[in-house]
Amino acid sequence: MAERVFITGIGMITAIGDNVAGNLRNLKAQQSGLGYSQYVDTIHKNVLPVAEVKHPSESLFALAGIPEKEGFTRTTLLGLAAMREALKDAGITDVQSAPTGFINASTVGGMCDTEKLYFDIIDPEKTGSFLQYIDTLDCADCTQRIADIVGFNEHIATISTACSSSANALMFGARMIKQGMLPRVVCGGTEALTRFTLNGFNSLKNVDKQFCRPFDQQRTGLNLGEGAAYLVLESESFAKANGSRILAELSGYCNTNEAFHPTSPSPDGDGAYEAMKAALAMSGRSLEEVSYINVHGTATLNNDISEGKALERLFGDKVPLFSSTKPFTGHTLAAAGAIEAIYAILAIQHGMIFPNLHFTERMEELNISPVTELIADYPVKNVISNSFGFGGNNASLVISKYEG
Amino acid sequence: MAAISPQPTFDGDILSAPLIHTDRNLLACIEPDYKPFIPGNSLRRMSRVLKMGLAAALKCTADSGLDTPGPIITGTGKGSLQDTEKFIKEIVEYKETALNPTPFIQSTYNSVNGLIALQQKCTAYNNTFVHRGFSFENALLDSIMLIQDGEPHTLTGAFEEITTEHFYIKSRIGFWKNESINSADLCQHLSPGSIAGEGATFFTLTGTPSAHSYAAISGFRMLYKPTKEKLNAALKAMSIQPDLIISGRNGDSNYEHFYKELDSCYPGIPQLGFKHLCGEYDTASAFGLWLAAQIIKTQQIAEQWFPQQQPLTTPVNSILFYNHFYGEQHVMLLLERV
Amino acid sequence: MEELKKKLKEQIIEALNLQDTKPEDIDDNAPLFGEGLGLDSIDSLELMVLLERQYHIKVEDPREGRKILQSVESMAEFIQSKQPA
Repeated sequence: MAERVFITGIGMITAIGDNVAGNLRNLKAQQSGLGYSQYVDTIHKNVLPVAEVKHPSESLFALAGIPEKEGFTRTTLLGLAAMREALKDAGITDVQSAPTGFINASTVGGMCDTEKLYFDIIDPEKTGSFLQYIDTLDCADCTQRIADIVGFNEHIATISTACSSSANALMFGARMIKQGMLPRVVCGGTEALTRFTLNGFNSLKNVDKQFCRPFDQQRTGLNLGEGAAYLVLESESFAKANGSRILAELSGYCNTNEAFHPTSPSPDGDGAYEAMKAALAMSGRSLEEVSYINVHGTATLNNDISEGKALERLFGDKVPLFSSTKPFTGHTLAAAGAIEAIYAILAIQHGMIFPNLHFTERMEELNISPVTELIADYPVKNVISNSFGFGGNNASLVISKYEG
Repeated sequence: MAAISPQPTFDGDILSAPLIHTDRNLLACIEPDYKPFIPGNSLRRMSRVLKMGLAAALKCTADSGLDTPGPIITGTGKGSLQDTEKFIKEIVEYKETALNPTPFIQSTYNSVNGLIALQQKCTAYNNTFVHRGFSFENALLDSIMLIQDGEPHTLTGAFEEITTEHFYIKSRIGFWKNESINSADLCQHLSPGSIAGEGATFFTLTGTPSAHSYAAISGFRMLYKPTKEKLNAALKAMSIQPDLIISGRNGDSNYEHFYKELDSCYPGIPQLGFKHLCGEYDTASAFGLWLAAQIIKTQQIAEQWFPQQQPLTTPVNSILFYNHFYGEQHVMLLLERV
Repeated sequence: MEELKKKLKEQIIEALNLQDTKPEDIDDNAPLFGEGLGLDSIDSLELMVLLERQYHIKVEDPREGRKILQSVESMAEFIQSKQPA
């Protein structure tokens, strides 16, 4: 029998908070992190809303717990800030005290900084301290800098499957634990806003000029966000022997590919349906036992139809309470899966369902609509967290209340 | 298996293939005719590394004799550099307006995986690792874990390209040799830096051997920035006495000491390098593994690729493979004859 | 109008890299998407970029785009309607 996998520490930074407590406070206050960019150099900064972490990179060094120096991208700093909190929360002072893996996720690595320097980097006439950033573009850079500072020296990896990246990082870490390869793995992702991704999504014509409205008839697209989140996963036997405080169980997960289109989901949500169904089957929970679904809910025309159809197909006329928290954090791409996994844990811990902000009108294609006001004192036992991405990469996680 | 590389590895008989070499310090792939593999309507939009990756994946599936690829797991250090560079430049050139989405979509690291799944209508597990010299290695680990969990087979591979611009960028931080050398002499030419390369290599991995099997992976270890002692112990633990060693020796004097450690662990065992064939890149291990599997299956070494090597007189039942990427990510594999 | 349509066909072939297609192969009224040339939603975005780069016409709403991009004929009509008289 493979080991159960428990979550024993969480850490995060997003547009609505520098740590888990800050995020919870703003989720409860129904306070969105969307606004206009202070730090991305783009002509869209006053036109396309984003959910930016409210610190310039220079002041992120303090949160990351390191002195200011060249070569540390915003991606790395956000990641380090979240990592510090996750380790502290799990009571880990030395990651080498037990074999500990680190599975990170990123979609564009250090693009946030390299895009500003790229033309200097390729210009033989130019030289200077910017060359410290020359090798920070790839996704491994942030992973290795975080690993080296914190001291991870067992297994490290970086996953990039677009918007499902950190959900896949959690899955990969959990599988390593179940295989008995490692007793403890820290998993998650980090993503900084970039001109590159903002223009990329804008070229696909799926960025909303208003604050995004998931599952709303009038939605026209997503808003990008940035942030980082990490979860400490431990095997049941290690957690018990170590006396770890158990926050929740990662009871099920599934990764499927839709094989439908490079950027669009299928209209009936085949991939989303399969991912949720198989993750739930693995968790051993029934449809009725699902208390809440934190949907991918990007507010693009296609995602919400497809995901909504998948919910109706799977749950029939008994679709559980669901909401997208993207109007709080924006779509944080590689970090989204881990951020929303933490929100699932918060929902379980505090007995709350977080609202889907900016919703007014049900989509004509669907019979369901999301939760629009904060629901408190609601027992939450099992949460499905969805992350679906480009390339047809779909991932669903099931996070369950720990009851011994 | 299938490999697109700077050598004629995709089509024809490898044992009689000539040794392609260069004095530009950059070994570029010999690209096949993609039309037999990819429909024209898909091909027209695809950039170079997408075509290389997809064609190698499709040929690999055909070579395996299986109908569907099953789970698809890949590794790439840099993804489509051509598309990334193009989109960065178009953002500036067109002042962030009227941008074509294609280079953005294709710069996404998992775009090759998406295309493989799409073309083969494969809805199984799908994952992409992007971690320099641990990209292909993590893909391999993920695949082995899936097989241990009961998947009958996986499609596992790696793809990488080098562009002129990226070659220049990496030259600024000492990745390549300052002096031009004949790539054929790479392993003997010791000086700072190596030569650049690229490739797309795919494998079908199965849980049980068949007539199609090339080799069995019986040992696998990854080490991140190991100490000398840790590397030494891990290398020694891989095998008692392999028949042959294939190493990632790349003529880079900055990191040669790791290969010296290998030599000291296995004195007297014949050793082949492979970077003179494919150059240095994040996922070169995949090409090295392809070569090792070829040798163990055919029990022959292509003479023109390894002119210094004496013909084999005893059977090669096991091959120890060791590679590292600029001293940071180290991988060792033990291959055995099926 | 004929001149515009001929030029448009050449521009479409170049923008979408339709290697085996010649301008005379494209019927003015044939659907560009699905059955006709077999183009998809990414091509439609690229054709909107073509309109913006070559004719300085910006199409904001993808749903409006679908109507304009039905055929070479509809594209040409749209361009002409936007040109100063």
